[in-house]
Amino acid sequence: MELGGLAQVINATLGASGALSATAAAVIGVAGAAAITAFYLLRLRRRRVVVAFAPLWLGAAGAERATSRTRRLRHWLSLALALTLFAAILLGAVDPGRGRPGPGAPGPGALKQGQFDGGGRSLVLLIDRSASMSATDEVGSRLAAARRRADEIIGGLTGADRALVASFAADASAESGFESDPHRLRRAIAGVTPSDEPGDLQRALAFAAAILRGRPRPTVVLVSDGGFTDDARRRAPSDPDGRALDVRYAPVGRRADNLAILSLAARRIPADPGAVETALVVQSFRPTASTAAVEISSGGTVVEKVNLTLTPGERRRLTLPNLFAPDARVEARLTGADDLADDDQARATIPPLPRRRILRVGGPDLYLDGALLGLGRTVQVDRLPAADADRALARARDYDLVVFDGVTPSAPPAAGRYLYFDPQGAGNPFAAAGAVRPTRPVRDPVIDPASLHREHPLLRELDLADVNVAEAHRLVLGPGDVALAASFDVPLIVTRERPALRIAALAFDPRRSDLPMRPAFPLLIANALGWATRQTDNAAADPPLVDAGGTARDARESDTTPVPALALGGRVLAAPDPPAPHFRARFGSWALMLAAALLLFDWLSYHRRWTT
Amino acid sequence: MTASLDSGAARACAAARTDGAIGSRFDERFLRKLESLALTIRRTTAGRSHGMRRSRRVGAGLEFADHRDYVPGDDLRYLDWNLYGRLERRALRLYEEDEDLSIDVLVDASASMAMGRPPKLELALQIGAALAYVGLSNLDRVAVTALGAEAAGPPPARGKARILPILRFLDAVHPLQGSSRTSRTSLTAAVREFLSRRRGRRRGLVVLVSDFYDPAGARAALELVRRHRLEAIAIQLSAPDELAPQLRGDLQLYDAETGEVRDLTVSPDALADYARRHATLLRELRGYCREHAVPCFTLSSDQPFDAVVLRMFRTGGLLG
Repeated sequence: MELGGLAQVINATLGASGALSATAAAVIGVAGAAAITAFYLLRLRRRRVVVAFAPLWLGAAGAERATSRTRRLRHWLSLALALTLFAAILLGAVDPGRGRPGPGAPGPGALKQGQFDGGGRSLVLLIDRSASMSATDEVGSRLAAARRRADEIIGGLTGADRALVASFAADASAESGFESDPHRLRRAIAGVTPSDEPGDLQRALAFAAAILRGRPRPTVVLVSDGGFTDDARRRAPSDPDGRALDVRYAPVGRRADNLAILSLAARRIPADPGAVETALVVQSFRPTASTAAVEISSGGTVVEKVNLTLTPGERRRLTLPNLFAPDARVEARLTGADDLADDDQARATIPPLPRRRILRVGGPDLYLDGALLGLGRTVQVDRLPAADADRALARARDYDLVVFDGVTPSAPPAAGRYLYFDPQGAGNPFAAAGAVRPTRPVRDPVIDPASLHREHPLLRELDLADVNVAEAHRLVLGPGDVALAASFDVPLIVTRERPALRIAALAFDPRRSDLPMRPAFPLLIANALGWATRQTDNAAADPPLVDAGGTARDARESDTTPVPALALGGRVLAAPDPPAPHFRARFGSWALMLAAALLLFDWLSYHRRWTT
Repeated sequence: MTASLDSGAARACAAARTDGAIGSRFDERFLRKLESLALTIRRTTAGRSHGMRRSRRVGAGLEFADHRDYVPGDDLRYLDWNLYGRLERRALRLYEEDEDLSIDVLVDASASMAMGRPPKLELALQIGAALAYVGLSNLDRVAVTALGAEAAGPPPARGKARILPILRFLDAVHPLQGSSRTSRTSLTAAVREFLSRRRGRRRGLVVLVSDFYDPAGARAALELVRRHRLEAIAIQLSAPDELAPQLRGDLQLYDAETGEVRDLTVSPDALADYARRHATLLRELRGYCREHAVPCFTLSSDQPFDAVVLRMFRTGGLLG
């Protein structure tokens, strides 16, 4: 049995206080010595071994030694060593230092005359493992420093003290039971791992108070960097019975050197689902002005970079509209080193694009089919032949966009979303009122750059310079219609927006121009789809960014400013008592080392029996 | 002498084994090995003789051996007239007489032979059975005796068919217990008793299979055999744990044969002493055998019997 375990068994047998009286020690000593002697005498019985021819053995040197006085003396010496070993263990269990008052014990005046101070403290070691404890301003981290500090406190316990190791972040948990064995307590301390949660001090103190209820001399030692909310500090700790709790504070943390991304949110703009808007909040917790850069990446590619200069404590909100995000996840990262790496990055997820439906009406057109294919798998394209153009009008409500490719139905639509290529005839929504004969086409129209409405969603990111058009038909604009591009007085791209109706039209057949050969053509189709499906209802357009799914941090955990003195309920917490050198730690170690040495010696001198 | 094998005899052995006439010691596998061994030995020693061993007795043989002076009454047919013509000396020509050999296989069955893993006695009995079988196959007169056993062995016999009584006898041999009276009899005493029973039989060959752990000394038993003008062959067996004991610590030694009990602390020094004494015993035995032209084989009990016997015949000096 482990020696510490033996001491615990003795303690458990003789009382919760762990005090071993002289009488009990004497009883155990006598019984143990008797048992050792009995076992030893049994051990002295030689093992009988049958040999074929004893004369080969009996002349050996060992035959004489077996009965020599020296040999017999060695037997008795071995017994003496075993008894000494037992005495050392018993002495370690009795612990002469037990009666000495430990740190935190009431002074001599607190004890009544003649009263023996045999009880120790009940101590809960509360180790903060919240997100801020991952800061690296201490050697290793603040949590590593907290573990070292806790080890020191454990080293200062007396034999009568019982300690429990607990850790907390958003929740508190016990890492050990009430122990007096420093090794087990240290193992529990080593098992405390960092968390990315904020620390809930009041919850942790309530947990400790519940554990300490009914125990003698309850004490809580809080090992933390002190980064708690004012609300958490406002209440004084007490046990469930309302009695004040003795809480000590062991601070960790050396400096405040941290920049943090407190929140990151990204969403698709409701008015333009193809566009992504990103918002983030960055704060400096440094005592001096600092510069930093924020990189926004998506799909492993940096898509945006913003340089910042922040004054001490400044919190800045950044909004990045029209962000190109090839992946559903957006990540923001602060470049540059600081003490807390966990809050230097944040992630947000973009909701997927809604599924769209397009109805394409007309004959074969590889250019248009190619552009529609480029819209990706979120767009479903149905096709109708040119002869069914009128049927397309009836089905328009089922589609986000109906494209008439060089085809014009017999009547202009009253509702729906449409894109016309070179509309003509009676069904042309941009025909002159009362016109009977078709107008003559305009040859070689040239797009006037001054006429371009570049801010319009239909022309976004479009380069229409030098587009060559063979011929165009003159479109007549009605009230509210807009010519987005024109060749002097000839509109070439027009739009019409009415309630429940949106029409965009090209006054020319793209196939009779070089527009399909340009990157602008698939972009124009994509823009047309986006313009046709964009919402104009402002109430539904702007949900708060943070609801879009992203990172939101507690600024308190990012604020790594050291708190050398912590006040709870208006009272500053005292520091833990310094680990006073006491007899038990040294004596116990020496007793164990002596026991080990005696065991080794005994084994070498007597127990070399690996015989079969 | 060479071995010849009648497959019918092997079948008889197998049948006897099936009928339970032979116990578990000489199982089917042993008999097959024995048969194979006899065949191998016959090939190995083929050409050395004609199936008969030449005795040293001078008589009516074909091969000239020596001269001796004529005395009245001698058969004149053997007078060497050529010698008389040259030297005028009357002398008789003497010839070596061919006769069958008398072989006694003595297996030490004392308590010490039960020691070891595997026990030495098992290998000793297997070797005894193998030598007896080979001898019988060569038409020699073979008798097997277990030294120290209560029961006497079967009488000397010739012919392969007589192997069955020998195997039955050997199968019933068990090591003596250390507390019994006979177990305390030394090897020399057991050999002396055997020789007194043998008195009156012709001279021959005595194969002594033992560990030679004898308080009188390893050579005493062989000396006794030689004094009776018998040829001797010594086969010494040791168990692996006798050659390299794995004992340590404070022990109470119990002598398997004498029952003597002594305390001993087995240390590395004591082990070295033991190893020295054991080596001396073997060295003395080999030295005596070399000095008196006695074939001697020292074996470990963990060796397979067939390989051991084959090696004896190949190295020579045994029965051939």
